[in-house]
Amino acid sequence: MRETRTSAQEAAEDVFFGQAVMIWARWFLIAGSLILALWTVDRVAQVVIGTLPIVGLMAMNFYLHGRYLAGRPANPVLIGMASVLDLAAITIVVLLWPGHRGLESQFFVMYYPIVLAFAFVMPRKAAIAYTVAALGAYTGACVIGGISSFTGPDGTSVDMGSLEVLVMRLITLAAMGGLGTYYWRIQRNRRRSATDGTSVVQADPVGA
Amino acid sequence: MYRHLQDWNDGADDLNYGQGVIIAARWILVMAGLMLAFWNPGEIAELRFQIVLVLGLSVANFYLHSQVLMGKRSIPAVVLGASAADIAVISLIVATQGGFASNLYVFYFPALLALSVTFRTEVAVAFAAVTVAVYAGIASFALPADDGQVLVTRLLILAAVAICGNMYWRIERDRRQAAAKVMEDLNPVVREEVAVA
Repeated sequence: MRETRTSAQEAAEDVFFGQAVMIWARWFLIAGSLILALWTVDRVAQVVIGTLPIVGLMAMNFYLHGRYLAGRPANPVLIGMASVLDLAAITIVVLLWPGHRGLESQFFVMYYPIVLAFAFVMPRKAAIAYTVAALGAYTGACVIGGISSFTGPDGTSVDMGSLEVLVMRLITLAAMGGLGTYYWRIQRNRRRSATDGTSVVQADPVGA
Repeated sequence: MYRHLQDWNDGADDLNYGQGVIIAARWILVMAGLMLAFWNPGEIAELRFQIVLVLGLSVANFYLHSQVLMGKRSIPAVVLGASAADIAVISLIVATQGGFASNLYVFYFPALLALSVTFRTEVAVAFAAVTVAVYAGIASFALPADDGQVLVTRLLILAAVAICGNMYWRIERDRRQAAAKVMEDLNPVVREEVAVA
């Protein structure tokens, strides 16, 4: 039987059903950030400044989660804007957090669930663009926020150990986006095959 | 035991499709592991250990990949064992590189993602819990006094990746079942209409 839904309808359904994953990924981002923000600094002013963006993210996620629970999920534009804000918030913290900046910041782990959730829900081109933006933002934050991390004892040579750590993190972060969008594609093919009664296993064993 | 955890009839397709993600994640681990081992090599004994582990993993992955390419159905015990081996290899390397101080724990992320979209929720939760517990144990040994919150955050985000992955797996399973149900209900009506025409 011929598929009657358009790709646009299918993409809208992906966002409709999948945004729960993005919302929960953001709750984990908020919880992790709160732990780091409250217990890695020892000045009241730093705690206040660090908590403000988290409160902003919480407000945004309350709104999105509320809409989702009310059966009126946000549209792709709103979802995209919220995801860009997530990326910006993590990058700013990696760049500016007192004490550990750039490569030494432990906030970089927050990129992982956010990039994964976006790749699960959004179409492939958007997922690739978002993953590349995350990689670029983190590389930029490491270079700007902690350039001294990349220089050797003489102050001019490149420290290969730091570069290795950065590359390792970039590879695994790119893997999250790549594997997420790969699995999204597998699921789209499976759904289509479920409605026309054929199996895609023989034709496309690994969902390529 | 694995038959109880991964019911063949219900989960075989999920296993087949998800195994593609596991294999892709493992190739990433192999390539990145080799590159990083050669880039900034440490002690010779450590380097030998890393190379043997990574090349062993690549041989096992080649076998699994060839099974998929030949269209053979996945055996749950093999997929489970290979996935456990991935976690064990990453844990061994992290442990030999200083536990908490090792930056290689980031390889747990793609491994956990692949597991969470392949196995049923019970198995995925068990795998994720064991992985988080193993890493917590390894990292706790040489944990600096003021870095407890950093470890807790790492563990939380590891769990987050597994939870988000399996949540998506469940959403897609429900969507697929709903789509198949609609087609099942629709088919007799269409046949009846065609017969009348």
